[in-house]
Amino acid sequence: MTTPQNVLVMIKQVPDQSAKAGINPDGTIDRAKAKRMLNPFDRFGLQGALTVKKLTGAKVTAITMGPPPAVEILLEALSQGVDKCILLSDRRLAASDTWATSYALSKVIEYTGPFDLIFCGLQTTDGDTAQVGPEIAERLNLPQVSYCEDFKLEDGKFLARRVMEGGHQWVSMAMPGLVTVANSYHHLEYPSIRGVQKVQRLQRDEEALKALIETVDLDIVKADPKECGLKGSPTIVARTDKVGELGGSCVLHQGETIPTMVRDVMGAASALKEFALA
Amino acid sequence: MTDTPQPSAPNAETPSAPVTPPAAEPLPTIVTPSNKEVVIIAEHFKGTLQPVTYELLGIGRDLADKLGGKLSCFLLGFNIKEQAQSLIAAGADEVYLADHPELELYRTLPYKRVITEFIKGWELPPHIVLLGSSTTGRDLAPRVAACLGTGLTADCTELDIGPYEHTNKADPDKLGIYPGCLYAIRPSFGESLKARILGPWNNPQMATARPGTFIPLKPDANRTGVVTDIPINLQGEDFRLSVLEIVHEISKGVDLADAEVIVSGGYGLGSADGFKLMEELAACFKNSGVGASRKVVDVGWIPYQNQIGQTGKTVRPKLYIACGISGAIQHRVGMDKSTTIIAINKDASAPIFKFAHHGIVGDVYQVVPELIAQLKAAQGSCPTVKEPALV
Ligand SMILES: Cc1cc2nc3c(=O)[nH]c(=O)nc-3n(C[C@H](O)[C@H](O)[C@H](O)COP(=O)(O)OP(=O)(O)OC[C@H]3O[C@@H](n4cnc5c(N)ncnc54)[C@H](O)[C@@H]3O)c2cc1C
Repeated sequence: MTTPQNVLVMIKQVPDQSAKAGINPDGTIDRAKAKRMLNPFDRFGLQGALTVKKLTGAKVTAITMGPPPAVEILLEALSQGVDKCILLSDRRLAASDTWATSYALSKVIEYTGPFDLIFCGLQTTDGDTAQVGPEIAERLNLPQVSYCEDFKLEDGKFLARRVMEGGHQWVSMAMPGLVTVANSYHHLEYPSIRGVQKVQRLQRDEEALKALIETVDLDIVKADPKECGLKGSPTIVARTDKVGELGGSCVLHQGETIPTMVRDVMGAASALKEFALA
Repeated sequence: MTDTPQPSAPNAETPSAPVTPPAAEPLPTIVTPSNKEVVIIAEHFKGTLQPVTYELLGIGRDLADKLGGKLSCFLLGFNIKEQAQSLIAAGADEVYLADHPELELYRTLPYKRVITEFIKGWELPPHIVLLGSSTTGRDLAPRVAACLGTGLTADCTELDIGPYEHTNKADPDKLGIYPGCLYAIRPSFGESLKARILGPWNNPQMATARPGTFIPLKPDANRTGVVTDIPINLQGEDFRLSVLEIVHEISKGVDLADAEVIVSGGYGLGSADGFKLMEELAACFKNSGVGASRKVVDVGWIPYQNQIGQTGKTVRPKLYIACGISGAIQHRVGMDKSTTIIAINKDASAPIFKFAHHGIVGDVYQVVPELIAQLKAAQGSCPTVKEPALV
């Protein structure tokens, strides 16, 4: 029977795509100029980990990989109630794809020590793959629940409600295991004033901060640099093309009379008629 | 996928790299060994094959023909033998069948073991492995890819075969021309860019494909193919997860999570009164509800229960009509799994138009009343017999 005592949560800093800054005219992101934020999906993973802490008193460690400014999201995690943070920062990680990223992160996890549960956000808003979580689970030979939207701990098992097309399922997972949390997880809480104040105090106390946020590199976590970054990545972006002026596959109607535009959409979007009341 | 198209690694360690050939020297042609086979992993629910499987067979047939290889399909399940024929009729040359009670419902570890152990036993690996980017495909694909030690591209909207010339000297070991690569093409960065992602250094090259994107072949009962039973060696550790129950959500009225049609209003409505118009539009549909962005909840035009997005509800209706909503990422994460998204916004550059399916650039107060009028006219024009109970 396992009562989770050590919980890890994987988080990532991403460019804020709703801010115009740092979005190049060609649609690529200039990461140096872009506004940064905690990956919105990771809030759900973070909340999952903190919910376990509330239930069992487990210690929660937040792990991120990124350049030094990623410390910002670790501070945010601390204000939410995370106990400890690890930042993996190493220039040799540049251009890592999901395979190389999952390798580096699994090395940090091994370095961190024993754990009962690993929480991840479902996916990131900049990569959008939902692959890193399951790839970590594979590298560490763990069972996984992806798309978890609710859970409870029962009889030493992790009982999870998992999103499926047209419904959901309840599964029971032995621990240790890995969970990716969907954005339909409905228990988000915001940082308390106390949490925010705690972090403000910490920011004035370099020693205390260092004790809570450990910065590591590939050598410290015993990761092979050849498996990381551009060289360790089995996939590359060979080229990018702009998708039309407005992007996506949206059929945009503009400049015509309102009745014409509405009629065109009525013709093209069959759902309008399909679900209209008879 | 690689998350940014970085120009090159800033840390390229040229001193330790082998001498790069002078520019004039032609690049060598490099062929990564494979048996040229394209492999699909079928998805079914309690024996019913999912549409995405037929779509994958459609595009898979095309890719296999371009490579001059065969198209095969894994089918794992229980009492599922008959389905093998429909896979063949839909384009497969061979079906790898694993029929076993423990495989009746999809579970990550047993499925991964059967598939990867079988592929690892081949003399040459397949060229391509494709899955759907459903909740099942996105669960299984990364496990299979990581287990086979190969790359994976998520959620592709186009797939093709073609050559790739690697000239990036930051990575000199890979310099060369690679024929027959899988071009895995997908939208990225809020979908305003299409990225062509490839990884010809390892086979299989893997991708998941967005359901509804590719066209299935017309089923042809005269097509012939082989059905091969494959070994099943499940281990104790494969049962670390069990399925307790599966719940199919049946719609029961106003609950947003169950609504088939959601009409959502944003700050563009200008005032709380705008929601009357939203309700009027919603009333034109069966099983519909009214949603909202956070900004209008924050200003108190509508209760929090109606908020959709990161800190509100996540919904997956068949039809989502966004009125005066800009389409911020926090709103988007709560609704972009909707089957059809129609956006009405007076700003043609609003981000909502990057992921909506149909957009009208115009004022909500002109467009929505017109839409209501045309919906009502359409209803009138196709009279239906009313249920006696309703009269
Ligand atoms: C941590 C966090 C969590 C969040 N969670 C959520 C969430 O759960 N849900 C959510 O929705 N947001 C959320 N947000 C807020 C989100 O970032 C946006 O601010 C919000 O979604 C914007 O709402 P809006 O589109 O209604 O308003 P705006 O961004 O102001 O957009 C109004 C739109 O209406 C258009 N418009 C104006 N007048 C008209 C007219 N007459 N006719 C047609 N169009 C018109 C404008 O062109 C504009 O595009 C969150 C933000 C943060 C930081």
